[in-house]
Amino acid sequence: MSLAFLPSLPFEMSFALLFGVLLLAGMLGGEMARSVRLPRIIGYVVVGFILAPLTQAMGIDPLLEGARIFVDLAIGLVLFDLGRRMDLQWMKRDWTLAATGLAESLLTFGAVFATLVFLDFAPVKAGLAAAIAMATSPAVVLLIVQDTKAEGQVTERALNLVALNSLLASILTTILLASAHLQAHLDVENTLLHPAYLFVGSLLLGGLVASGARVLARAVDKTKELHFTLIAGMVVAAVGIAAILKLSVILSLLSFGLFTRNDPRNYDLLNVNLAPASRLLYIVLFVITGASLPLPALVAGGVAGVAIAGARALGKFVGVLVVAPIGGLRLRQAVGLACALMPVSTLALILHRDVVRHFPEFGVELSSAFLGMVLIMEIAGPIATQWGLRFAGETAPREEIRMAPGRDAARAPQA
Amino acid sequence: MPLEFQTSKALSMGVELELMVLNTHDHNLVRGAPDLLARLDKVELKGEVKPEITESMIEVNSSVNTRYDELLEELKDVRDAIVAAADRLNLAVAGGGAHPFHKWNEQRIFPTERFQRVSSLYGYLAKQFTVFGQHIHIGVESGDDAVYLTHHLAPYIPHFIALSASSPFSQGEDTSFETSRLHAVAAFPLSGQMPPVRTWSEFNGYFDEMLGYGIVASMKDFYWDIRPKPEYGTVEVRICDTPLTVELAAQLAAYAQTLAADLLRNRRDDESNRVYRVYGYNRFQACRFGFEGELVDPFKHTHTKLRDDLLETLERLGPAAAALGTTLPLAAIAALAASEQNDSRWLRERYLETKSLPDVVRLQAGRWRTEPGAGA
Repeated sequence: MSLAFLPSLPFEMSFALLFGVLLLAGMLGGEMARSVRLPRIIGYVVVGFILAPLTQAMGIDPLLEGARIFVDLAIGLVLFDLGRRMDLQWMKRDWTLAATGLAESLLTFGAVFATLVFLDFAPVKAGLAAAIAMATSPAVVLLIVQDTKAEGQVTERALNLVALNSLLASILTTILLASAHLQAHLDVENTLLHPAYLFVGSLLLGGLVASGARVLARAVDKTKELHFTLIAGMVVAAVGIAAILKLSVILSLLSFGLFTRNDPRNYDLLNVNLAPASRLLYIVLFVITGASLPLPALVAGGVAGVAIAGARALGKFVGVLVVAPIGGLRLRQAVGLACALMPVSTLALILHRDVVRHFPEFGVELSSAFLGMVLIMEIAGPIATQWGLRFAGETAPREEIRMAPGRDAARAPQA
Repeated sequence: MPLEFQTSKALSMGVELELMVLNTHDHNLVRGAPDLLARLDKVELKGEVKPEITESMIEVNSSVNTRYDELLEELKDVRDAIVAAADRLNLAVAGGGAHPFHKWNEQRIFPTERFQRVSSLYGYLAKQFTVFGQHIHIGVESGDDAVYLTHHLAPYIPHFIALSASSPFSQGEDTSFETSRLHAVAAFPLSGQMPPVRTWSEFNGYFDEMLGYGIVASMKDFYWDIRPKPEYGTVEVRICDTPLTVELAAQLAAYAQTLAADLLRNRRDDESNRVYRVYGYNRFQACRFGFEGELVDPFKHTHTKLRDDLLETLERLGPAAAALGTTLPLAAIAALAASEQNDSRWLRERYLETKSLPDVVRLQAGRWRTEPGAGA
């Protein structure tokens, strides 16, 4: 009698099980954070912090590394969603919006760059780190907007500014990476061609996928369910194509979303709500983000990390507070807006990962300073965003309306 | 203490329009009213733009006008100012009696203290209360005239319903009604019509009685389709959905003004009780079938198509219209009735084309900013 049908020991961890565990643990962590009125995201990240040493001990680290596909898909969805919320027409009608974005991005770059140069880092490296620091985490802001049901001027402007600074950060990083290559004495063609390929190729891919989505949308019934599937499929495929063609996932998906939204001629594609499904991926995204952040970096990065975080916050605050009021935002709203832009996370990590891959000389020292900043902001950022949106008066009230008859049943309302 | 009726210039008119404030990505209701109103504060306007019960609604109040063309110009100016302010804030504004797919449980409507009172008192009824109407005020010289006009405008209420109907969709569904908004109002305990009082002092007697029961505190507690408005010295027609354009809003006001002129000049002594016996039936017919509704005439004992009744009325009003300068708007209303192209039909056609309610709302907002015929 053979018992070959029984599993052999030791059991092998599988992706499916890992995904399930990350998802459930993340969800529970999120609800715990919620119960103490912190953003759920902090719960997800802290679960990641806790899981990291466990996975190391269990020796399933490589599996976690392999789970990055979930991260890429989540990022794809986030950026698509963000691109869809970015409104170029609005920026044309209200120039102060784009100006606020430029101001806060450039001031952030300048402040972080100056801080790093002051700390004796080489200008090229400092420039790269500063470029990455410009980006606000789209996932954090989108999730908090969902969780708090925030809506209004500050929320809309924050999402547009996040799209803008993510875009600027990824363009600037690409360009600086090229000049780093040049310094490293790589050939000139590569130095020029690589960013050009990334930029033009990614935009083209975004545009093509958007057109493809429209063609498909016309071919099927216009129902929410079908269009949801269609968009999810296109996003996943676009992430895959970007990877195959070695294009920028960030730029490709952002432009996919942008092209879907900013096409005034046709509205074939329904504006479906991706939130419920993308929540699954987001949870895993943040747990993995937490797990991949080396806690020791906080110590190693130390003062430098704190300094970068401070410089970054300063740049964003000054940029927003100076320019946004020109567009008619009240001070309270401008402060809320600046706070909403604080989170730095996944995108910076991915840019950072790309930089380290292309340019290993980025250096251990700067890496740990940078990761130290990311760690600080991973906790402080979501709190700032949630507080900012609440301060601006745009979040839903904490208490739900009770439909039960009140004790002092009031008089008839006015028509 | 009796309610004092402020007299006003006979046949002066004013309108109130409740408008939706929308986001521009999925065109759901959004709480944009405070920012929009703050911007409009800096603009010099003849009328007024005010906050309403929820932060995704604004209300336009015109100034007092005597002429249709002046009212129309004023409404166009306000519209343009609102559109310009909304553009800067990336908001859209639209007419229409109800938001086609807004869901109560999504809680886009932010609860103010008053809204919480409403919802705790009315429960499920409050759920349907996010509706948008046009109110038309017609000036009268005395309380007695107001009572007279309130009764005698009642037979024409179905006309206003069919002409202004612009809420065929509610909570994401086609309701099969031309206007779904009126059901929201009809269920409230003090809705319906004024009791058969004949004079202002009789009305005061009724009001005091209701006050004594503790049922009402002010005139505002009556949800009648038509009611006297003693503070303004007007009769207020409250039945209309907010139309999709200011042009139609002004035309409806002109129709009410011309009807009032005719009714005040050629006084009738009809028995209002009889009118009210068929009132509910006629009102339902208009809500459900619009121009195709069958109206019962309680005096002639006949059934007439609403469209024909309306066209006949317009014909009869010819001389009064010529005197008031409302010939043009009444001709537009006649054309609307003859073609049966009301806003509800327009909305349904857009839905057939786009198969998406968010797209319908987008086009609805486009129609609000442009004149009819200029394309959406």
